Amino acid sequence: MKTNKVVYYLKKLLIFLVSILALSILVFFISRMTPTDPLQSYYGERTEKMSVEEKDRARERLGLNDPIVIQYGKWVQNAFHGEFGISFKYKQDVKIVIGKRIGNTLVLGGVGFILTFVGAILLGVLCATHENSLLDRAISTIGTITSCIPEFWFSLLLIFVFSVIWHVLPSSGAYSVGKEGDLLDRIRHLIMPMIVVIFEHLWYYAYMVRNKLLEEVRSDYVSLFKSVGINRRRIVFGHCLKNIMPTIVSIMAISVPHIIGGTYIVESVFSYPGIGMLSYESARYGDYNMLMVLCMMTGIVIIFCNILGQIINEKIDPRIKANEITERSEVSYGDGQ
Amino acid sequence: MELLKVENLSVEIGGQKDKVKPVRDVSFSLHKGEVLAIVGESGCGKSMLCKSVIGLLPKSGKITAGSIYAAGTDITHYTERQMEKLRGSFFSMIFQDPLTALDPTCTIGSQIAEAIRVHHKDMTKAEVNARVLDLMHLVGIEEPQERKNLYPYNFSGGMRQRSVMAIALASNPRVLLADEPTTALDVTIQAQILDLLRMIQEELDTATILVSHDLGVVARVADRVAIMYAGKIVEIGTAKEVFYDPRHPYTWGLMQSLPGFSRGKDRLHTIPGMPPSLVHLPKGDAFAARNEYALGIDYEQEPPMFQITKTHYAATWLLDKRAPKIECPIKRGRNDE
Repeated sequence: MKTNKVVYYLKKLLIFLVSILALSILVFFISRMTPTDPLQSYYGERTEKMSVEEKDRARERLGLNDPIVIQYGKWVQNAFHGEFGISFKYKQDVKIVIGKRIGNTLVLGGVGFILTFVGAILLGVLCATHENSLLDRAISTIGTITSCIPEFWFSLLLIFVFSVIWHVLPSSGAYSVGKEGDLLDRIRHLIMPMIVVIFEHLWYYAYMVRNKLLEEVRSDYVSLFKSVGINRRRIVFGHCLKNIMPTIVSIMAISVPHIIGGTYIVESVFSYPGIGMLSYESARYGDYNMLMVLCMMTGIVIIFCNILGQIINEKIDPRIKANEITERSEVSYGDGQ
Repeated sequence: MELLKVENLSVEIGGQKDKVKPVRDVSFSLHKGEVLAIVGESGCGKSMLCKSVIGLLPKSGKITAGSIYAAGTDITHYTERQMEKLRGSFFSMIFQDPLTALDPTCTIGSQIAEAIRVHHKDMTKAEVNARVLDLMHLVGIEEPQERKNLYPYNFSGGMRQRSVMAIALASNPRVLLADEPTTALDVTIQAQILDLLRMIQEELDTATILVSHDLGVVARVADRVAIMYAGKIVEIGTAKEVFYDPRHPYTWGLMQSLPGFSRGKDRLHTIPGMPPSLVHLPKGDAFAARNEYALGIDYEQEPPMFQITKTHYAATWLLDKRAPKIECPIKRGRNDE
């Protein structure tokens, strides 16, 4: 049994490593095949005035003239030593540039993610227990409408209302100039991006929770439990909700990329200095080293979440790893009558 | 004493436009320790009758007329909370499909224990555990100590139906409603479950309402039989009376359709036509269109219940004094299948 577990986790680890390797190859080759000029991010507008020889020398210096395969080999070698090169744009180690900004994204994405799911489960349960009531229909309708609004448009609308008309909230950045350590000021900057991140995803997941729960409430065991006098609320929360948790968890794990992606767009609109903005810039201007690290980071998080979702699922629902056990039990615990 | 009495019960389901009347003017009573079988085709309202008795009608369904008495008390207009107290302790219900009637993610033992605790909140853990083992033993699950920690997916269909019965019997109900408890099981297991039903009924003195569409099943266990057609009870009497002296043409049709009746003939007997839709019921007797003995009045007016003996009633105009005498088409002795 113990060795089984070790093999099981080793398998998952192998899947994880292979996926990361594949991801790095894909990103490395695709980014270098796109028609962006990395010199533009290094020299800015000056590139337009550079001669062909100057450009060639610059490329040589940045190691961009080698064949792609050799470039990739060098990158992997350095990556194993923790060296990811410098950012062409910031002329600094990418780790330092990212380090300065990642906190902002973690706060926006992480808190947004948690609030989205807490809200989704609450709304979903509320709708399911009041199926087809006015409340249920109102929430569903509002949800459908808001989730159809694109993130950037919703962001602009918020900026227009709260910053331009009412002047109550700042329209961009993570903090006001000179108030870097002021927590209240940071929260004020966070409100609008956070609202967009949550509202864009909340309804979709709430609706999923609602439908899953309604399906579960209609199962036969609910009727049986009701018929022996168990309270409806107890059945819904003690059994139905527990049984749909695996689904919710896997949805949560799979939704990480959606919410991260959403964060990136929101960051761009609000000029919020997180890694989303950074990714956008690096892809746009061919800041290869930066792009690689950001893609790898995002990818690792996503792949890890997927595998984690799977493992949690198997822990909650015994049927998923049923094949292991049934063989054993069918022999000894058959219909022994 | 009459444990359960249903008087002129009518049930409607659905909204304004498509109202279904699955139960129409049904009366019967159930005595202590007897098995009453309710027989009829699919969709004739058998299950809805049981659900309305135990108060588990779907949200859109309601009792429009009549009353239900539990041990002499009128429970027709009981609130959900009052019904919860009765469910499990006075009556409980088991359902057709044991494969879905248990919570797949909880152990068998914990599900039985939950049903016990509903009405015995002050029991200690050890007492509950002892009761779980007793119940599992009662329904014929061997090695309960070990098997209570297994999940439903470890169990076969027959074993699951036994577990379902253990749950339903957890609080010693005085009435057990069994909605086609053997339909989803294969024939040998069916026989075992029926014997178990009979055994439990004798041992615990539980009165049972057994819903079935299978006359063979009914003949094996029932003390009294009610034949249902299009939401009405058309014939009710002791098993002997209904099987050996059936009076309603529908009962004749059902019995003639038994394979044993057609032994030596080329084809099985069938009742022509289809049961009427419960949305648009025909005028007069709902069975008239399929009845080869239908009289003119059958198309005009619904027949009342005619009394044949003290316990035997049938609703057909053939029993009226003015009706022509018609011989029962079933020869005695052929219908003991």
